[in-house]
Amino acid sequence: MMIEFENVTRCYARKVAVDRLTLTVPPGELFTLLGPNGAGKTTTIKMVTGLLRPTGGSVRVCGHDVVGDQRNATLAIGYVPEEPFLYDKLTGREFLEFAGQMRGLTGSLLRNRIARESEFFELADYLDDLAESYSHGMRQRLVFASAMLHDPPALVVDEPMVGLDPRSVRAVKDRLRARADAGTIVFMSTHTLAIAEEIADRIGIMDHGQLRTLCTRSELETLMASHHASLEGLFLELTNGANGKTHKAGNGAANGDSVGDLSLEQ
Amino acid sequence: MPNPPSPDFLPAPAEARVFAEMRRRLVSTVLRQTFSRARFRVSLVVALTGVLWGGIFWMFYDGFLFLRTTNQDVYAATVHGLFGAFLLALMLMLMVSSGIILYGSLFRSCEIGFLLTLPARSERLFLHKFQEAIVLSSWGFLLLASPMLLAYGVVAEAPWYFYALLMPMVIAFIYIPVAIGAMLCLGVVRLVRDNPLAILIGLGILLAAVSAWVGWGLFNGPRNDLLTPAWFQEVLGRLKIADYRLLPSWWLTTGVLDAADSSMLAEATLFLTLLISNALFFRQLALWTAGRVYRAAYSGLYGRTLRRKRARRGRFDQFLGWLLRPLPDPVRLLIVKDLRLFRRDPLQWSQVLIFAGFLVVYFWNIPRFTYNIAAVGTYIGWVNMVSFLNLSVVGLLLSTFTTRFVYPVISLEGRRFWILDLTGVSRQTVLWSKYFFATGGTLLPCATLVLISDLTLKVPVVVLLIHQLTCVVLCSGLAGIAVGLGAWLPNLREESPARIAAGFGGTLTLVVSTLYILIVVLLTAMPTHFYFAAHYAVSLPASPGWQSIQRWLMFWWVAGTVGSLLVGVAATAIPLRIGFKAFSRLEC
Repeated sequence: MMIEFENVTRCYARKVAVDRLTLTVPPGELFTLLGPNGAGKTTTIKMVTGLLRPTGGSVRVCGHDVVGDQRNATLAIGYVPEEPFLYDKLTGREFLEFAGQMRGLTGSLLRNRIARESEFFELADYLDDLAESYSHGMRQRLVFASAMLHDPPALVVDEPMVGLDPRSVRAVKDRLRARADAGTIVFMSTHTLAIAEEIADRIGIMDHGQLRTLCTRSELETLMASHHASLEGLFLELTNGANGKTHKAGNGAANGDSVGDLSLEQ
Repeated sequence: MPNPPSPDFLPAPAEARVFAEMRRRLVSTVLRQTFSRARFRVSLVVALTGVLWGGIFWMFYDGFLFLRTTNQDVYAATVHGLFGAFLLALMLMLMVSSGIILYGSLFRSCEIGFLLTLPARSERLFLHKFQEAIVLSSWGFLLLASPMLLAYGVVAEAPWYFYALLMPMVIAFIYIPVAIGAMLCLGVVRLVRDNPLAILIGLGILLAAVSAWVGWGLFNGPRNDLLTPAWFQEVLGRLKIADYRLLPSWWLTTGVLDAADSSMLAEATLFLTLLISNALFFRQLALWTAGRVYRAAYSGLYGRTLRRKRARRGRFDQFLGWLLRPLPDPVRLLIVKDLRLFRRDPLQWSQVLIFAGFLVVYFWNIPRFTYNIAAVGTYIGWVNMVSFLNLSVVGLLLSTFTTRFVYPVISLEGRRFWILDLTGVSRQTVLWSKYFFATGGTLLPCATLVLISDLTLKVPVVVLLIHQLTCVVLCSGLAGIAVGLGAWLPNLREESPARIAAGFGGTLTLVVSTLYILIVVLLTAMPTHFYFAAHYAVSLPASPGWQSIQRWLMFWWVAGTVGSLLVGVAATAIPLRIGFKAFSRLEC
């Protein structure tokens, strides 16, 4: 029951967006993918959800290949995209019913799950309003609720905190952490370093389609201490964003789930 | 090997029910909102549709009666030929329009990005959008074909089953081109590496050009006198192209005509069965194709969209900037920006090309109007009538143009209004720039085409000058209406210009523009027509009574021209004033 990338490559014409990515995210882990714009994070996420197919290699979700066994793979996922889509002319409840029914939830089970998620995301008072009247934050919370309705074994989240107020950010972080602690795979992409630093079990830093660094949170803390740098400083160095310094790709990128070589050429 | 389906999967019928329920909820909410919030809009749309439908019905009813009474020998063959050609043309249009609609909904919509992440069958997603395409691409077909077919039934005194069989036959027929268009769309996206939309639009333009060429051959070729039996025979010979028996349009034509005959129920039922079985076959084939290629096509499409699109500052922009130097800088820059955006949107300019194509075909045919003048009567009266008809046609096409392309621009600008607000450009300047852009953009082709038509028809110089003046009045008024109403009734939620134009504000703009054209053309055409008819009627005596009539007609001629000028000023100023006020209060 893992998310597995096996030598995955995805090209856009001649541009390689994701380059031979090998990575395994086990159950109960909150994995965060960091990287600058255009690093390949969203492409990676879209390959997990089956929206995009790898040019080479394979992606498996809970043992299901996202291309050959797409429906089973999709069923195992709850997906929160960067730009949430809602039907403006459906109420929040109708949207959740549609999303739940498509995942096989019916009757009282569906009603209970809708009540549970809407209460958690503080949507209960607005659930019978049309989605066209929702603010961006409410839309985002509704999409979170729909992704968690069927208690998926894997949660895939792309830039989850955009447009959320601090209270909602706290709620989402707690929920993602709680889900991971309960055994769900949480695969998250974000630009917000502080969130990764706070809740991630493991962090991968991507740049130019390659996984440059892969480390656990404690390893990251050790690394920051040894370099006397913040996560931001490390991130900028690893992604060539500061002073043009170069770096070595971590072995972890090649080895999948092992800890990478985090040394930097100073 | 793929794993066996999980027990959590919805069976196909349950999946279909969930989608149907979702659609039912969406439609009922939209209807409820429309009826509660926009009764005037609904009434207007229903009334206009009714008037249009009634007009088409009356036209066909009268046409069929005329044909039956004047050309009994060739009536049946003529109707078969006309139906066949008409339905063949509609079938081709349906195929292309459904292909383009499905490209947007299957590959570019935000909704499909969401649906593809659900554990739904690819076939279900395709069907969901296919059904939408059936409705979206066939309402025009139903609006055009149903009055024609019903008028035929009434004239032919068809039995009851004609009316009972009509709808299933038409629906089954519609399925076939839409399914073929869908497969075409899937195939093009899957196989064509670069810019599949351009290929689909190109196919559409090619088909339109072929149709225009065929139509041109049909009605330009025959040398016999118009509407005589010999002319009909010649046209019928040219309609053979629609007589190919493997064409669904031929099946529908024959089935409908058989159904109108009280002795041919069995034959009509046979064609209905043929249409339904083919509709099901093509639907199934499209479904099978979607199941195999849709997801791969979707993924593949996004594999070629990250190319950097470079655009140079064209010489045309430089030329336009130079040409518009007399205008204030902000207005000039906004006009150049609008034209640049327009030029880089293939969906926009391809539709303009189709408009232009219609105009060129129409004006190419003007010499036909001078044909057999002696039989028509007074030459000058005829030429006058035709020249003003040309003006009306140009005006109506321009009104479609301003509604489709100018009206939505304000809504689209409104979405990005904060950018302009921050630059310090006043909102009035924005609207003036749109107005000048629309007036200039319509006046140039309008005046040129009308000038060519007048020169071809050899109209008197004074009429030519009146036409040019009317062009200025028309273009200014149409631009004022489109810009003013666009600012008064913007649709800030919609991103698609076509959808903005199809909404209430767009419909109102079209209606007001049409009325405006009719008023202006009538005010200038009628007095001019009567004045010149009297002026050239040499057979009448030059008595004092006749001279006073001529003076009276002269007065009306001048009054009509001045009146049209005043109407033009009002049509420009009033909507713009309303628009300016509304636009200055608009909060984005």
